[in-house]
Amino acid sequence: MALEQPQKKQIPTSKRIKRIAIALAVVAMYIWTFASINIDFGRVIERASANFSRVVPRLFSPNWDMAGEVIEMMIETIFIAYVGSLAAAILAIPLGFLAAHNITNSRIITTIGKWILSAVRAFPEIILAILFVVVVGPTPFAGILAIAIGSTGMLGKLYSEVLESIDMNVVEAMKANGANGLQIMFHGIFPQIIPEFLSYAIYRFEVDVRASTILGYVGAGGIGTMIFFAQSSRNWSDMGMILLVIIVVVTIIDYTSSYIRKRIV
Amino acid sequence: MIQFKDLSLVYPNGTQGLKDVNVTINDGEFVVIVGLSGAGKSTFIRSINRLVTPTDGELLIDDEDILGYKGSKLRSLRTKVGMIFQNYNLVKRSSVFKNVLAGRLGHTGTFRSIFNLFSKEDKALAYQNLKRVNIEEKLYNRADQLSGGQQQRVSIARVLTQKPDYILADEPVASLDPPTSHQVMKYLKKINQEDGITTIVNLHFIDMAMEYADRIIGMRAGEVVFDGPVSEVSEETFEEIYGRSIREDDLRGSVEEDGEANE
Repeated sequence: MALEQPQKKQIPTSKRIKRIAIALAVVAMYIWTFASINIDFGRVIERASANFSRVVPRLFSPNWDMAGEVIEMMIETIFIAYVGSLAAAILAIPLGFLAAHNITNSRIITTIGKWILSAVRAFPEIILAILFVVVVGPTPFAGILAIAIGSTGMLGKLYSEVLESIDMNVVEAMKANGANGLQIMFHGIFPQIIPEFLSYAIYRFEVDVRASTILGYVGAGGIGTMIFFAQSSRNWSDMGMILLVIIVVVTIIDYTSSYIRKRIV
Repeated sequence: MIQFKDLSLVYPNGTQGLKDVNVTINDGEFVVIVGLSGAGKSTFIRSINRLVTPTDGELLIDDEDILGYKGSKLRSLRTKVGMIFQNYNLVKRSSVFKNVLAGRLGHTGTFRSIFNLFSKEDKALAYQNLKRVNIEEKLYNRADQLSGGQQQRVSIARVLTQKPDYILADEPVASLDPPTSHQVMKYLKKINQEDGITTIVNLHFIDMAMEYADRIIGMRAGEVVFDGPVSEVSEETFEEIYGRSIREDDLRGSVEEDGEANE
Protein backbone atom coordinates (compact mmCIF):
# COMPACT_ATOMS: atom_id res chain seq x y z
CA MET A 1 0.00 0.00 0.00
CA ALA A 2 1.35 3.39 -0.92
CA LEU A 3 1.76 5.66 2.03
CA GLU A 4 0.64 8.98 0.71
CA GLN A 5 2.77 11.76 2.05
CA PRO A 6 1.55 15.34 2.42
CA GLN A 7 3.13 17.79 0.07
CA LYS A 8 6.43 19.17 1.40
CA LYS A 9 6.13 22.61 2.93
CA GLN A 10 7.35 25.19 0.42
CA ILE A 11 9.97 27.58 1.73
CA PRO A 12 10.69 30.54 -0.55
CA THR A 13 14.33 31.00 -1.60
CA SER A 14 14.50 34.45 0.00
CA LYS A 15 13.56 32.94 3.33
CA ARG A 16 16.18 30.20 2.94
CA ILE A 17 18.87 32.78 2.22
CA LYS A 18 17.78 34.80 5.25
CA ARG A 19 18.06 31.77 7.51
CA ILE A 20 21.54 30.88 6.26
CA ALA A 21 22.64 34.49 6.64
CA ILE A 22 21.44 34.61 10.23
CA ALA A 23 23.18 31.33 11.05
CA LEU A 24 26.43 32.59 9.51
CA ALA A 25 26.19 35.89 11.40
CA VAL A 26 25.75 34.10 14.73
CA VAL A 27 28.75 31.87 14.09
CA ALA A 28 30.90 34.76 12.88
CA MET A 29 30.01 36.85 15.92
CA TYR A 30 30.95 34.03 18.24
CA ILE A 31 34.32 33.45 16.55
CA TRP A 32 35.05 37.17 16.49
CA THR A 33 34.28 37.78 20.18
CA PHE A 34 36.15 34.68 21.28
CA ALA A 35 39.18 35.62 19.21
CA SER A 36 39.27 39.17 20.51
CA ILE A 37 39.16 38.18 24.20
CA ASN A 38 42.72 36.93 23.72
CA ILE A 39 42.83 33.79 25.77
CA ASP A 40 46.25 32.27 26.29
CA PHE A 41 45.27 28.63 26.69
CA GLY A 42 48.77 27.52 27.53
CA ARG A 43 48.83 29.81 30.54
CA VAL A 44 45.31 28.83 31.58
CA ILE A 45 46.22 25.16 31.74
CA GLU A 46 49.51 25.84 33.46
CA ARG A 47 47.95 27.97 36.22
CA ALA A 48 44.99 25.70 36.66
CA SER A 49 47.15 22.62 37.15
CA ALA A 50 49.41 24.48 39.57
CA ASN A 51 46.64 26.00 41.70
CA PHE A 52 43.94 23.39 41.50
CA SER A 53 45.56 21.04 43.96
CA ARG A 54 46.40 23.96 46.24
CA VAL A 55 42.93 25.57 46.36
CA VAL A 56 40.26 23.00 45.74
CA PRO A 57 41.06 20.43 48.44
CA ARG A 58 41.16 23.25 51.03
CA LEU A 59 37.79 24.52 49.86
CA PHE A 60 36.43 21.07 50.59
CA SER A 61 37.94 20.96 54.04
CA PRO A 62 36.21 23.94 55.61
CA ASN A 63 37.58 25.53 58.72
CA TRP A 64 34.95 24.53 61.27
CA ASP A 65 36.42 26.79 63.95
CA MET A 66 35.06 29.66 61.90
CA ALA A 67 31.51 28.31 61.89
CA GLY A 68 30.12 30.53 64.66
CA GLU A 69 31.53 33.70 63.19
CA VAL A 70 30.41 32.82 59.67
CA ILE A 71 26.87 32.01 60.76
CA GLU A 72 26.68 35.28 62.63
CA MET A 73 27.67 37.17 59.49
CA MET A 74 25.23 35.12 57.43
CA ILE A 75 22.44 36.21 59.76
CA GLU A 76 23.48 39.81 59.23
CA THR A 77 23.34 39.15 55.49
CA ILE A 78 19.81 37.79 55.76
CA PHE A 79 18.80 40.83 57.81
CA ILE A 80 20.19 43.13 55.13
CA ALA A 81 18.24 41.24 52.48
CA TYR A 82 15.07 41.20 54.59
CA VAL A 83 15.03 44.88 55.46
CA GLY A 84 16.04 45.82 51.92
CA SER A 85 13.43 43.72 50.17
CA LEU A 86 10.69 44.74 52.61
CA ALA A 87 11.44 48.38 51.87
CA ALA A 88 11.44 47.58 48.15
CA ALA A 89 8.18 45.64 48.39
CA ILE A 90 6.51 48.75 49.78
CA LEU A 91 8.30 51.37 47.65
CA ALA A 92 7.43 49.43 44.51
CA ILE A 93 3.66 49.60 45.11
CA PRO A 94 3.11 53.23 44.11
CA LEU A 95 5.56 52.85 41.24
CA GLY A 96 3.78 49.71 40.07
CA PHE A 97 0.43 51.52 40.03
CA LEU A 98 2.04 54.42 38.18
CA ALA A 99 3.38 52.10 35.49
CA ALA A 100 0.15 50.13 34.90
CA HIS A 101 -1.75 51.62 31.97
CA ASN A 102 -5.15 50.24 33.02
CA ILE A 103 -4.82 52.02 36.36
CA THR A 104 -3.56 55.40 35.25
CA ASN A 105 -5.54 55.53 31.98
CA SER A 106 -2.86 57.83 30.70
CA ARG A 107 -0.15 56.91 28.26
CA ILE A 108 2.08 59.74 29.48
CA ILE A 109 1.97 58.84 33.18
CA THR A 110 2.47 55.15 32.42
CA THR A 111 5.46 55.89 30.23
CA ILE A 112 7.00 58.05 32.96
CA GLY A 113 6.38 55.27 35.48
CA LYS A 114 7.97 52.64 33.26
CA TRP A 115 10.93 54.96 32.62
CA ILE A 116 11.55 55.48 36.32
CA LEU A 117 11.44 51.73 36.88
CA SER A 118 13.83 50.88 34.08
CA ALA A 119 16.21 53.63 35.16
CA VAL A 120 16.27 52.18 38.68
CA ARG A 121 16.65 48.65 37.30
CA ALA A 122 19.66 49.60 35.21
CA PHE A 123 22.01 49.63 38.25
CA PRO A 124 23.40 46.29 39.42
CA GLU A 125 23.26 45.92 43.22
CA ILE A 126 27.03 45.87 43.51
CA ILE A 127 27.32 49.28 41.81
CA LEU A 128 24.60 50.67 44.08
CA ALA A 129 26.47 49.22 47.06
CA ILE A 130 29.69 50.97 46.00
CA LEU A 131 27.75 54.23 45.68
CA PHE A 132 26.07 53.88 49.06
CA VAL A 133 29.29 52.88 50.82
CA VAL A 134 30.65 56.21 49.66
CA VAL A 135 27.50 58.03 50.78
CA VAL A 136 26.71 56.42 54.16
CA GLY A 137 29.98 54.71 54.99
CA PRO A 138 30.98 51.02 55.03
CA THR A 139 28.08 49.70 57.13
CA PRO A 140 25.24 47.21 56.60
CA PHE A 141 23.00 50.24 56.05
CA ALA A 142 24.72 50.78 52.70
CA GLY A 143 23.85 47.19 51.81
CA ILE A 144 20.23 47.68 52.83
CA LEU A 145 19.92 50.75 50.62
CA ALA A 146 21.55 48.96 47.69
CA ILE A 147 19.16 46.02 48.00
CA ALA A 148 16.13 48.26 48.52
CA ILE A 149 16.79 50.40 45.45
CA GLY A 150 17.88 47.48 43.30
CA SER A 151 14.76 45.46 44.10
CA THR A 152 12.34 48.34 43.75
CA GLY A 153 12.95 48.54 40.03
CA MET A 154 12.27 44.86 39.41
CA LEU A 155 9.36 44.55 41.85
CA GLY A 156 7.72 47.68 40.48
CA LYS A 157 7.84 46.20 37.00
CA LEU A 158 6.41 42.87 38.17
CA TYR A 159 3.70 44.65 40.19
CA SER A 160 2.67 46.72 37.19
CA GLU A 161 2.39 43.54 35.12
CA VAL A 162 0.17 41.96 37.78
CA LEU A 163 -2.00 45.08 37.79
CA GLU A 164 -2.27 45.07 34.03
CA SER A 165 -3.60 41.52 34.12
CA ILE A 166 -6.36 42.03 36.70
CA ASP A 167 -10.02 41.52 35.88
CA MET A 168 -11.17 45.02 34.94
CA ASN A 169 -14.79 43.84 34.81
CA VAL A 170 -14.77 43.86 38.60
CA VAL A 171 -13.58 47.44 38.53
CA GLU A 172 -16.39 48.28 36.11
CA ALA A 173 -18.94 46.59 38.36
CA MET A 174 -17.78 48.64 41.34
CA LYS A 175 -17.80 51.80 39.29
CA ALA A 176 -21.36 50.91 38.31
CA ASN A 177 -22.49 50.67 41.92
CA GLY A 178 -21.22 54.12 42.77
CA ALA A 179 -17.92 53.33 44.47
CA ASN A 180 -15.23 56.00 44.32
CA GLY A 181 -11.61 55.57 43.24
CA LEU A 182 -10.20 54.63 46.64
CA GLN A 183 -13.04 52.22 47.35
CA ILE A 184 -12.49 50.51 44.01
CA MET A 185 -8.80 50.22 44.86
CA PHE A 186 -9.37 48.65 48.26
CA HIS A 187 -12.33 46.43 47.42
CA GLY A 188 -11.90 45.70 43.72
CA ILE A 189 -8.16 45.81 43.02
CA PHE A 190 -6.34 44.85 46.23
CA PRO A 191 -8.07 41.48 46.72
CA GLN A 192 -7.02 40.58 43.18
CA ILE A 193 -3.36 41.55 43.53
CA ILE A 194 -2.30 40.89 47.12
CA PRO A 195 -1.39 37.20 46.70
CA GLU A 196 0.72 37.89 43.61
CA PHE A 197 2.37 40.93 45.15
CA LEU A 198 3.28 38.89 48.23
CA SER A 199 4.54 36.05 46.14
CA TYR A 200 6.82 38.32 44.10
CA ALA A 201 8.06 40.07 47.24
CA ILE A 202 9.03 36.73 48.78
CA TYR A 203 10.71 35.63 45.57
CA ARG A 204 12.62 38.89 45.54
CA PHE A 205 13.74 38.29 49.13
CA GLU A 206 15.15 34.97 47.97
CA VAL A 207 17.05 36.72 45.17
CA ASP A 208 18.19 39.43 47.57
CA VAL A 209 19.70 36.96 50.03
CA ARG A 210 21.90 35.72 47.21
CA ALA A 211 22.67 39.26 46.06
CA SER A 212 23.54 40.50 49.53
CA THR A 213 26.14 37.77 50.16
CA ILE A 214 28.46 39.60 47.79
CA LEU A 215 27.77 43.18 48.93
CA GLY A 216 30.24 42.96 51.80
CA TYR A 217 32.99 42.58 49.24
CA VAL A 218 32.73 46.32 48.63
CA GLY A 219 32.19 47.07 52.32
CA ALA A 220 28.41 47.14 52.47
CA GLY A 221 28.05 44.65 55.32
CA GLY A 222 27.25 40.97 55.54
CA ILE A 223 29.17 37.83 54.76
CA GLY A 224 30.83 39.37 51.69
CA THR A 225 33.29 41.08 54.01
CA MET A 226 34.55 37.68 55.13
CA ILE A 227 34.81 36.54 51.52
CA PHE A 228 36.99 39.54 50.85
CA PHE A 229 39.33 38.78 53.75
CA ALA A 230 39.50 35.07 53.05
CA GLN A 231 40.34 35.74 49.45
CA SER A 232 42.97 38.39 50.11
CA SER A 233 44.75 36.20 52.66
CA ARG A 234 44.35 33.17 50.35
CA ASN A 235 42.70 31.32 53.22
CA TRP A 236 40.82 28.74 51.21
CA SER A 237 39.54 26.65 54.07
CA ASP A 238 37.89 29.76 55.56
CA MET A 239 36.43 30.37 52.13
CA GLY A 240 35.17 26.80 52.09
CA MET A 241 33.34 27.36 55.37
CA ILE A 242 31.78 30.58 54.08
CA LEU A 243 30.63 28.94 50.87
CA LEU A 244 29.20 25.99 52.77
CA VAL A 245 27.10 28.27 54.98
CA ILE A 246 25.93 30.33 51.99
CA ILE A 247 24.96 27.24 50.01
CA VAL A 248 23.05 25.68 52.90
CA VAL A 249 21.24 28.87 53.88
CA VAL A 250 20.36 29.89 50.34
CA THR A 251 19.02 26.42 49.61
CA ILE A 252 16.87 26.44 52.74
CA ILE A 253 15.50 29.89 51.88
CA ASP A 254 14.83 28.80 48.28
CA TYR A 255 12.81 25.82 49.43
CA THR A 256 10.92 27.72 52.11
CA SER A 257 10.12 30.55 49.75
CA SER A 258 8.80 28.33 46.99
CA TYR A 259 6.74 26.39 49.54
CA ILE A 260 5.17 29.56 50.91
CA ARG A 261 4.59 30.98 47.44
CA LYS A 262 2.82 27.83 46.34
CA ARG A 263 0.47 28.15 49.31
CA ILE A 264 -0.29 31.80 48.62
CA VAL A 265 -1.32 31.75 44.96
CA MET B 1 -38.78 57.29 35.14
CA ILE B 2 -36.18 57.07 32.39
CA GLN B 3 -36.60 59.14 29.27
CA PHE B 4 -34.45 58.87 26.16
CA LYS B 5 -34.92 61.97 24.00
CA ASP B 6 -33.37 61.84 20.51
CA LEU B 7 -30.45 60.07 22.10
CA SER B 8 -27.51 59.17 19.86
CA LEU B 9 -24.10 57.79 20.59
CA VAL B 10 -21.20 57.60 18.18
CA TYR B 11 -18.11 55.77 19.44
CA PRO B 12 -14.69 57.35 18.83
CA ASN B 13 -14.06 54.76 16.09
CA GLY B 14 -17.16 55.95 14.23
CA THR B 15 -19.52 53.11 15.17
CA GLN B 16 -23.04 54.32 15.73
CA GLY B 17 -24.05 52.82 19.08
CA LEU B 18 -27.42 54.55 19.36
CA LYS B 19 -29.35 56.49 16.76
CA ASP B 20 -32.16 58.91 17.65
CA VAL B 21 -33.57 56.76 20.41
CA ASN B 22 -36.84 57.98 21.93
CA VAL B 23 -38.05 55.75 24.73
CA THR B 24 -39.77 56.32 28.05
CA ILE B 25 -39.50 53.66 30.72
CA ASN B 26 -41.99 54.02 33.56
CA ASP B 27 -41.38 53.15 37.19
CA GLY B 28 -41.87 49.50 38.03
CA GLU B 29 -41.71 48.20 34.47
CA PHE B 30 -39.88 45.03 33.50
CA VAL B 31 -38.44 45.80 30.08
CA VAL B 32 -36.50 43.38 27.95
CA ILE B 33 -34.32 44.72 25.16
CA VAL B 34 -33.83 42.27 22.32
CA GLY B 35 -31.68 42.43 19.24
CA LEU B 36 -28.72 40.72 17.63
CA SER B 37 -25.28 41.26 19.07
CA GLY B 38 -24.02 44.65 17.99
CA ALA B 39 -27.54 46.04 17.76
CA GLY B 40 -26.89 48.54 20.54
CA LYS B 41 -28.52 46.74 23.48
CA SER B 42 -25.47 47.13 25.70
CA THR B 43 -24.96 50.73 24.68
CA PHE B 44 -28.60 51.42 25.53
CA ILE B 45 -28.26 49.94 29.00
CA ARG B 46 -24.82 51.36 29.72
CA SER B 47 -25.98 54.86 28.82
CA ILE B 48 -28.38 54.78 31.74
CA ASN B 49 -25.63 54.52 34.34
CA ARG B 50 -23.16 56.37 32.13
CA LEU B 51 -20.66 53.57 31.69
CA VAL B 52 -20.82 55.02 28.19
CA THR B 53 -21.71 58.62 27.44
CA PRO B 54 -24.14 59.41 24.62
CA THR B 55 -22.91 62.10 22.27
CA ASP B 56 -26.20 63.72 21.37
CA GLY B 57 -29.70 64.20 22.78
CA GLU B 58 -31.00 64.03 26.33
CA LEU B 59 -31.28 61.24 28.85
CA LEU B 60 -33.52 62.06 31.80
CA ILE B 61 -33.64 59.95 34.93
CA ASP B 62 -36.24 61.15 37.42
CA ASP B 63 -36.54 64.29 35.28
CA GLU B 64 -32.86 65.21 35.43
CA ASP B 65 -30.55 65.10 32.43
CA ILE B 66 -27.67 62.86 33.49
CA LEU B 67 -25.41 63.39 30.49
CA GLY B 68 -23.41 66.16 32.13
CA TYR B 69 -22.93 64.32 35.44
CA LYS B 70 -19.42 64.07 36.82
CA GLY B 71 -17.72 63.09 40.08
CA SER B 72 -19.97 62.68 43.10
CA LYS B 73 -23.13 63.46 41.10
CA LEU B 74 -22.31 60.57 38.77
CA ARG B 75 -21.54 58.26 41.68
CA SER B 76 -24.82 59.07 43.38
CA LEU B 77 -26.64 58.33 40.11
CA ARG B 78 -24.84 54.98 40.00
CA THR B 79 -25.84 54.14 43.56
CA LYS B 80 -29.47 54.28 42.54
CA VAL B 81 -28.97 52.36 39.29
CA GLY B 82 -27.76 48.84 39.99
CA MET B 83 -26.18 46.66 37.34
CA ILE B 84 -25.85 42.93 36.69
CA PHE B 85 -23.31 41.66 34.19
CA GLN B 86 -22.98 38.66 31.90
CA ASN B 87 -19.84 37.50 33.68
CA TYR B 88 -21.10 38.28 37.19
CA ASN B 89 -18.00 40.46 37.81
CA LEU B 90 -17.47 39.34 41.37
CA VAL B 91 -14.12 39.64 43.09
CA LYS B 92 -13.25 35.97 42.75
CA ARG B 93 -10.83 35.78 45.66
CA SER B 94 -13.15 37.54 48.09
CA SER B 95 -15.89 35.87 50.07
CA VAL B 96 -19.49 35.92 48.94
CA PHE B 97 -20.39 38.15 51.89
CA LYS B 98 -17.67 40.66 51.07
CA ASN B 99 -18.82 40.76 47.47
CA VAL B 100 -22.38 41.48 48.51
CA LEU B 101 -21.28 44.16 50.95
CA ALA B 102 -19.48 45.86 48.07
CA GLY B 103 -22.98 46.86 46.99
CA ARG B 104 -22.96 49.29 49.92
CA LEU B 105 -19.78 51.08 48.83
CA GLY B 106 -21.66 53.93 47.21
CA HIS B 107 -23.51 54.53 50.48
CA THR B 108 -20.46 54.20 52.72
CA GLY B 109 -17.80 56.77 53.54
CA THR B 110 -14.39 56.16 52.01
CA PHE B 111 -12.61 55.86 55.34
CA ARG B 112 -15.10 53.40 56.79
CA SER B 113 -15.11 51.25 53.69
CA ILE B 114 -11.32 51.05 53.46
CA PHE B 115 -11.24 49.48 56.91
CA ASN B 116 -14.27 47.31 56.19
CA LEU B 117 -16.31 49.13 58.84
CA PHE B 118 -19.73 48.40 57.42
CA SER B 119 -22.63 49.18 59.73
CA LYS B 120 -24.74 46.51 61.40
CA GLU B 121 -27.65 47.55 59.19
CA ASP B 122 -25.53 47.06 56.06
CA LYS B 123 -24.41 43.61 57.14
CA ALA B 124 -27.96 42.61 58.02
CA LEU B 125 -29.15 43.90 54.65
CA ALA B 126 -26.45 41.97 52.80
CA TYR B 127 -27.32 38.78 54.65
CA GLN B 128 -31.03 39.22 54.09
CA ASN B 129 -30.45 39.68 50.36
CA LEU B 130 -28.34 36.54 50.19
CA LYS B 131 -31.27 34.75 51.78
CA ARG B 132 -33.63 36.18 49.19
CA VAL B 133 -31.66 34.47 46.44
CA ASN B 134 -31.22 31.33 48.55
CA ILE B 135 -27.48 31.29 48.74
CA GLU B 136 -26.91 32.32 52.35
CA GLU B 137 -25.15 29.05 53.19
CA LYS B 138 -22.27 30.07 50.91
CA LEU B 139 -21.71 33.25 52.94
CA TYR B 140 -18.01 32.70 53.62
CA ASN B 141 -17.12 30.72 50.52
CA ARG B 142 -14.80 32.33 48.05
CA ALA B 143 -16.74 33.59 45.05
CA ASP B 144 -14.73 31.44 42.63
CA GLN B 145 -15.87 28.26 44.37
CA LEU B 146 -19.42 28.87 43.19
CA SER B 147 -21.06 27.75 39.96
CA GLY B 148 -22.05 30.30 37.35
CA GLY B 149 -25.67 30.38 38.40
CA GLN B 150 -24.72 30.77 42.04
CA GLN B 151 -22.34 33.59 41.19
CA GLN B 152 -25.05 35.38 39.26
CA ARG B 153 -27.35 35.06 42.28
CA VAL B 154 -24.65 36.59 44.44
CA SER B 155 -24.42 39.46 42.00
CA ILE B 156 -28.20 39.90 42.28
CA ALA B 157 -27.80 40.04 46.06
CA ARG B 158 -25.05 42.61 45.61
CA VAL B 159 -27.26 44.77 43.45
CA LEU B 160 -30.14 44.49 45.95
CA THR B 161 -27.82 45.52 48.77
CA GLN B 162 -27.23 48.69 46.85
CA LYS B 163 -30.96 49.46 47.30
CA PRO B 164 -31.37 50.74 43.76
CA ASP B 165 -34.41 52.31 42.12
CA TYR B 166 -33.42 50.75 38.81
CA ILE B 167 -31.73 47.49 37.90
CA LEU B 168 -29.93 47.06 34.61
CA ALA B 169 -29.00 43.56 33.54
CA ASP B 170 -26.64 43.18 30.59
CA GLU B 171 -27.10 39.68 29.16
CA PRO B 172 -27.43 38.16 32.65
CA VAL B 173 -28.00 34.62 31.41
CA ALA B 174 -25.77 34.44 28.34
CA SER B 175 -23.11 32.42 30.20
CA LEU B 176 -25.57 30.07 31.92
CA ASP B 177 -27.28 26.83 30.98
CA PRO B 178 -31.06 26.78 30.35
CA PRO B 179 -32.28 25.72 33.83
CA THR B 180 -30.03 28.22 35.63
CA SER B 181 -31.01 30.91 33.14
CA HIS B 182 -34.65 30.54 34.05
CA GLN B 183 -33.84 30.54 37.71
CA VAL B 184 -31.93 33.82 37.43
CA MET B 185 -34.69 35.42 35.37
CA LYS B 186 -37.26 34.31 37.93
CA TYR B 187 -35.35 36.02 40.72
CA LEU B 188 -35.12 39.21 38.68
CA LYS B 189 -38.82 39.11 37.93
CA LYS B 190 -39.70 38.41 41.55
CA ILE B 191 -37.62 41.34 42.76
CA ASN B 192 -39.24 43.57 40.19
CA GLN B 193 -42.69 42.58 41.40
CA GLU B 194 -42.03 42.57 45.13
CA ASP B 195 -39.86 45.68 45.41
CA GLY B 196 -41.21 47.58 42.43
CA ILE B 197 -37.69 48.14 41.10
CA THR B 198 -37.72 49.15 37.44
CA THR B 199 -35.78 46.46 35.63
CA ILE B 200 -34.21 46.59 32.18
CA VAL B 201 -32.72 43.37 30.85
CA ASN B 202 -30.77 42.68 27.67
CA LEU B 203 -31.51 39.29 26.20
CA HIS B 204 -31.08 37.70 22.86
CA PHE B 205 -33.25 34.67 23.60
CA ILE B 206 -36.70 35.24 22.19
CA ASP B 207 -38.57 32.74 24.34
CA MET B 208 -37.12 34.14 27.54
CA ALA B 209 -38.01 37.67 26.54
CA MET B 210 -41.59 36.57 25.90
CA GLU B 211 -41.80 34.70 29.17
CA TYR B 212 -40.53 37.37 31.56
CA ALA B 213 -40.99 40.79 29.97
CA ASP B 214 -43.88 43.21 30.45
CA ARG B 215 -42.63 45.19 27.52
CA ILE B 216 -40.20 44.48 24.75
CA ILE B 217 -37.94 46.94 22.99
CA GLY B 218 -36.36 45.68 19.79
CA MET B 219 -33.13 47.17 18.52
CA ARG B 220 -31.27 46.95 15.24
CA ALA B 221 -28.19 48.95 14.20
CA GLY B 222 -28.57 51.34 17.12
CA GLU B 223 -32.19 52.14 16.41
CA VAL B 224 -35.33 51.18 18.29
CA VAL B 225 -37.33 49.23 15.73
CA PHE B 226 -40.02 47.90 18.03
CA ASP B 227 -41.46 49.04 21.34
CA GLY B 228 -44.58 47.54 22.81
CA PRO B 229 -46.15 45.27 25.40
CA VAL B 230 -45.47 41.57 25.20
CA SER B 231 -49.07 40.94 24.14
CA GLU B 232 -48.39 42.70 20.82
CA VAL B 233 -45.32 40.61 20.07
CA SER B 234 -45.37 37.66 17.71
CA GLU B 235 -42.78 35.65 15.85
CA GLU B 236 -43.08 38.11 12.94
CA THR B 237 -42.12 40.93 15.28
CA PHE B 238 -38.86 39.15 16.10
CA GLU B 239 -38.17 38.40 12.47
CA GLU B 240 -38.57 42.09 11.84
CA ILE B 241 -36.26 43.03 14.70
CA TYR B 242 -33.60 40.50 13.74
CA GLY B 243 -34.00 41.14 10.04
CA ARG B 244 -34.00 37.42 9.34
CA SER B 245 -36.00 34.32 10.14
CA ILE B 246 -35.87 32.86 13.65
CA ARG B 247 -33.40 30.05 14.27
CA GLU B 248 -32.97 27.37 16.86
CA ASP B 249 -30.18 29.25 18.69
CA ASP B 250 -32.40 32.28 19.25
CA LEU B 251 -34.25 30.16 21.79
CA ARG B 252 -33.04 29.19 25.23
CA GLY B 253 -35.56 26.42 25.69
CA SER B 254 -37.64 25.80 28.75
CA VAL B 255 -37.23 23.36 31.64
CA GLU B 256 -39.35 21.86 34.35
CA GLU B 257 -39.93 24.00 37.35
CA ASP B 258 -38.52 21.86 40.10
CA GLY B 259 -35.09 20.57 40.92
CA GLU B 260 -33.34 23.83 40.27
CA ALA B 261 -34.24 25.98 43.24
CA ASN B 262 -32.08 23.96 45.59
CA GLU B 263 -29.03 23.78 43.40
